[in-house]
Amino acid sequence: MLSYIIRRLIIIIPMALLVVTVTWILIRMAPGSFYSSEKKLPPAVEANIKKKYGLDKPVLQQYGILMGNIVRGDFGDSLKYEGQSVNEIIRRHFPYSATIGILAYLLALAVGLTAGIVAALKQNSAFDYGSMSLAMLGLSVPNFVLGPILVLIFSLWLFWLPPARWGGASSLILPVITLSAIYAAYIARLTRAGMLEVMRSDYIRTARAKGLSEWKVLLKHAVRGGLIPVVSFTGPALAALLAGAVVVEKVFAIPGLGNIFIQSIFNRDEPLTLGIVAFLSILIMVFNLLVDVSYAFLDPRIRYE
Amino acid sequence: MEQQQEVVKGASLWRDAWKRLLKNKLAVFGLAVMIIMIVAVTVGPAIIRWTTGYTYDFIPPDGDLIKSFPPSLQHPMGTDDSGRDILARVLQGGRISLMVGVISTLVSLMVGVSYGATAGYLGGKIDNFMMRVVDIIYAIPYILLVIVLLSAFGGQNAPGWIQSISSALGSGQGLSQIILLFFALGLVSWLTMARVVRGQILSLKNQEFVMAARATGVSTPAIIFRHLVPNALGPVIVYATLTIPSVMLSEAFLSFLGIGVQAPFASWGSLAADGIKNISVFPWQLIFPGVTMALTLFSLNFLGDGLRDALDPQTRKF
Amino acid sequence: MARISLNQTFLGTMFIVVSLFLSGCASSASSRYWGKTVAPTDNVLRYISGSEPESLDPAFGTGQPEARVYMALYEGLVEYHPKTMEPIPAIAERWELSPDGTEYIFHLRKNAKFTNGDPITAKDFVYTFRRALSPELASRNANLGYYIKYSEAYNSGNMFVKDANGQFLLAKDFVKETEKKASDTPEAEPEMKPESAPANFGAATEFQSFMNAPERLVVKGSEKERAKQLEADPKLKAAVEGKELVPVTAENLGVEAVDDYTLRLKLYQPAPYFIQLIPHQLFRVVHQPSIERFGKDWQRAGNIVTSGAFMMSVHRPYDELVVVRNPHYWDAGSVRLDAIEFYPLEEQTTMMNLYKGGSVDAIYNHTTPPAWLDEIRKFKSEYQDHPEVANEYYSISVKKPPMDNLKVRQAFSLAIDRFALAQFRKTPKPLSNFTPDGIFPKYDEARKKVYGERLKAENMTVEEWSKGRLFDAEKARRLMTEAGYPVVKAGNGWSCPTFPVDKVTLSYNTAESNKAVAEFNQAQWKQNLGITIPLKNMEWKTFLPFRSGVQYEGVARNAWVGDYMDPFTFLNLFYSPTNDGATGFHDPKYDALLDAANKELDEQKRLEMLAAAEFQVLQEQLVIPLVTQATNWIKKPYVKGMYPNPGTLHAWKFVYLETDPNKWDTNADNLMKESDASVDEQINRLTATMAARK
Repeated sequence: MLSYIIRRLIIIIPMALLVVTVTWILIRMAPGSFYSSEKKLPPAVEANIKKKYGLDKPVLQQYGILMGNIVRGDFGDSLKYEGQSVNEIIRRHFPYSATIGILAYLLALAVGLTAGIVAALKQNSAFDYGSMSLAMLGLSVPNFVLGPILVLIFSLWLFWLPPARWGGASSLILPVITLSAIYAAYIARLTRAGMLEVMRSDYIRTARAKGLSEWKVLLKHAVRGGLIPVVSFTGPALAALLAGAVVVEKVFAIPGLGNIFIQSIFNRDEPLTLGIVAFLSILIMVFNLLVDVSYAFLDPRIRYE
Repeated sequence: MEQQQEVVKGASLWRDAWKRLLKNKLAVFGLAVMIIMIVAVTVGPAIIRWTTGYTYDFIPPDGDLIKSFPPSLQHPMGTDDSGRDILARVLQGGRISLMVGVISTLVSLMVGVSYGATAGYLGGKIDNFMMRVVDIIYAIPYILLVIVLLSAFGGQNAPGWIQSISSALGSGQGLSQIILLFFALGLVSWLTMARVVRGQILSLKNQEFVMAARATGVSTPAIIFRHLVPNALGPVIVYATLTIPSVMLSEAFLSFLGIGVQAPFASWGSLAADGIKNISVFPWQLIFPGVTMALTLFSLNFLGDGLRDALDPQTRKF
Repeated sequence: MARISLNQTFLGTMFIVVSLFLSGCASSASSRYWGKTVAPTDNVLRYISGSEPESLDPAFGTGQPEARVYMALYEGLVEYHPKTMEPIPAIAERWELSPDGTEYIFHLRKNAKFTNGDPITAKDFVYTFRRALSPELASRNANLGYYIKYSEAYNSGNMFVKDANGQFLLAKDFVKETEKKASDTPEAEPEMKPESAPANFGAATEFQSFMNAPERLVVKGSEKERAKQLEADPKLKAAVEGKELVPVTAENLGVEAVDDYTLRLKLYQPAPYFIQLIPHQLFRVVHQPSIERFGKDWQRAGNIVTSGAFMMSVHRPYDELVVVRNPHYWDAGSVRLDAIEFYPLEEQTTMMNLYKGGSVDAIYNHTTPPAWLDEIRKFKSEYQDHPEVANEYYSISVKKPPMDNLKVRQAFSLAIDRFALAQFRKTPKPLSNFTPDGIFPKYDEARKKVYGERLKAENMTVEEWSKGRLFDAEKARRLMTEAGYPVVKAGNGWSCPTFPVDKVTLSYNTAESNKAVAEFNQAQWKQNLGITIPLKNMEWKTFLPFRSGVQYEGVARNAWVGDYMDPFTFLNLFYSPTNDGATGFHDPKYDALLDAANKELDEQKRLEMLAAAEFQVLQEQLVIPLVTQATNWIKKPYVKGMYPNPGTLHAWKFVYLETDPNKWDTNADNLMKESDASVDEQINRLTATMAARK
């Protein structure tokens, strides 16, 4: 197991570099550049800009310099936000996204797991139908609709909570609820499905046959196995949540990393895009590793050699 | 051993499943709504055009009429900011959203399930490699990929072969856009599905029935697709029904980037996105597309649940 | 069946929620203002300023969101008048223009200081100008300074040519080449000065005689470029061969500190409107010692030293930028706000929510969604509607068929009902000209006169002609038929079966308003010409090269916000082959007309020449003009001294918050006409120093 984890950790760095390289190629293929704007630049001005940012060098040389710096952990300065380094921007904005993301995920986990497990145990009951319909509602109301509706009710009609912007715990409530809705719905439905699947399997029957109490069967065996689909979903979902949720950040004007990442792509801000991509790919791979490791804990039959 | 029986009675499996489906009232309801919805979006626009004369892109020439009117007999769902009939737009948008949802989900099912199942069953180095590929694809910024796709294949810059496909299909730009859209959605929608399926397979592959199958010399593909996948079907179907709404919403985002649905065409996602902006002034702009979409997704979901129960051979024992 | 009832419940809930909203709206309608409006308790303006500023360096940031922040942090020689945007004195108490129109002398006030207390002198301005134009800084706005003598040569890294006797070769001996060079510099064209330069305007200095000496020849700095340049011109090649090349340096730039409080600017050519450009962010003064000391970190809080009425306090990117009153500001006594909080936001719904919830006091321009206007306008005191120095139009790809046919272009323009369009978009005004109407009154007059003369031949009055250009479906169909694409009756509408629809698209960049306008125009063409043009929307940076490279077929959405208050900023868009208004058009005669106009010192004559140039653009139908844009923003009634000026750039020191509700704005439409005694008094005090000398 340990050697498996170590092997997986070692491979993360070269994989992240591979992702960065592919991204770099894509950026260079995309039309437009960071300095293009409404006004067409005179050739002299364009030449000055190219020279200043080393874009007049041969492409392969540019790539070499870039990778050399990245390997040393230096992503350079943003092209759009003059004088700000990429590392600094990530450090500054990640905490916002992470706060919202973790809170939303915890809320989603609490609501989703409870609803999913109870619904599975009481299959075809009113609770089952009710909670699953609610989950479906959570899924079919996009967060760009849910957010503004919550704002309308709680900020503009009741004046209870601020409509947008970061500041104090009260400003977190609406974005966290908005963000968690869809994940709670996913988790509820996946948990229910996974639980139903497990409850039918032989080992639960065996456990029951052994005369274990229903609670013990449930907690010790069923939940563990039933969680596998949820866990599979959690890896990418949590990474995406931590990386920032673009829509929620926009609706609530939160200075998170997600929006900055999207903007960096639209701005063709190469260093910033590459920096965030590297950061996110490491995040994703670490989470997926955690997921794979937790499989083994949830289900003793899963083994990594 | 019941697995073996199934293979033998393959033909009757489907008939059984259909019977079980019909017994499930919710699933029947879902099926009925879906059929009505499909019929409505297929013939609806033509009927509206014939009865009231409105189309999804008709903007009245009279400046006084170019604004959002509340629902009336003439416009059962009201009009949007440009004075267009929302009913006509919802029906036209349904064509695109349903097509996008279903096709992309099928892609995600086919690619994701076989990829994930293969990786999970084979395990070891192959599994490791296959899942790392998924990780890499997942980490590459999707928007950037779409922007590049679009500039390389979109519209007038499209290479000859793409243009010839779309002109052969007879609709010029519109179709090449739609093909690009499916491609762009298909690119990523299978990734999480692959992870979900692999997780399931990992936990199933050491169970007795698989060992039995292996011992009796069943070939690897047969073990994966005949024995393992059917047993992982529950989460797969649930996840597939979850994919549909998220794909429909991704479509709205891609339209924003210039891929997919070009104005004046609409989709449910784009109608909802437009509607929410005016929620406090013209609520009908959100309500009607929103309710239509929610109703459809609900129905799809019941149908999905019903299908899963119907197809699951073990349900009978409960 | 449980299912169906659930859906009914769901529908029911939705409707309850909606009726709650409606009742919420209805209750707010009874109040006097839109949304929560309470008298401000602190003296802080909360303003949404658009996207996150690219930089706090005024020479670097190019957009309006940056300009809004720079106007608080930095001050220049002159400032924008809060209502008209005409230049009013700032750090310069007064200025003079030489009779030949090429030399400005600015007299600086002696008490101007940076935020750290250092005095602001003419030397700081020399540094600011040289820095802004240096090739190393690579400012994207540098070309706005190209009017200044040798600035373009310096910014391009070009070289003077010195012969064996130490004499520099002169540009006038190579006229043809300089003309060629001029044609790829959009903003200015070097002009041959007569050898007898006007003697001694202002104090005579050595530098002045260098500036007044005949213009030196410059050749390209990079070897490769130079070889190309010389290859193309044998005469030049022969003359340059074996001569010494001397780089153009910052010291050669036409900017001089005559003494500590006198600054001289020397231009290549007369540019009567250049003073309009001086308040631009590029020319706002920066602090040399802190920039040199901190390098690229000079903009950070703690390091940054600025020159404006406000100074930086807190900067949390993507969240807020707070500026507070600058105690060292020379006019600190008349700065009325304690602080300004700038919120970088772009999401319209979010802005409106914040405003309605009372969390912000004012929002930048083009932000009120048209659909909300009827609702907001019920409250007369908040919505700011005024014409803007900005237009919206469609560029036409004039070199590609079928749009290479003038009649087709005219037909497409005439088939759009601009009155209905303006009614639909609520605030913009229909535009048949290219340069926005009602912004430059003198130019409007000149235009009337020139057009009238041209139209005499066609027996038309200007009014008839302009009105006819706003919408004439009948004529549009006739023109299409004449162009060889007959428009025939088909049922209730029209059809144009022979028109090659696959050769024309309407491309636009992703934006809600662009989409709405494109859909409208598509419907117009469909209804009036029977032609359905496909729409194509694109992400901004993909769209830019697509449009500027004229890769599009048909028409592409375009718009222009004037850089300064002069029609030339619009007409310049069609100047020179590299700057073709994204249409593919180039006509040396048009360029020559603009050149001649800019050399003209008589204002009236100059405007008439510009009008003649505009008439050509219109006659050739290079673009489909749509509307003059409107300011379209809102502010709370207690925000005073902030006006819907044509560029939506506010000189913050005039802005204040009124705590007495009786003095709040009652009708925003009268804002520009009403006088606000306290603001007027401030402006009069400033302009008094200007008048004193006259």
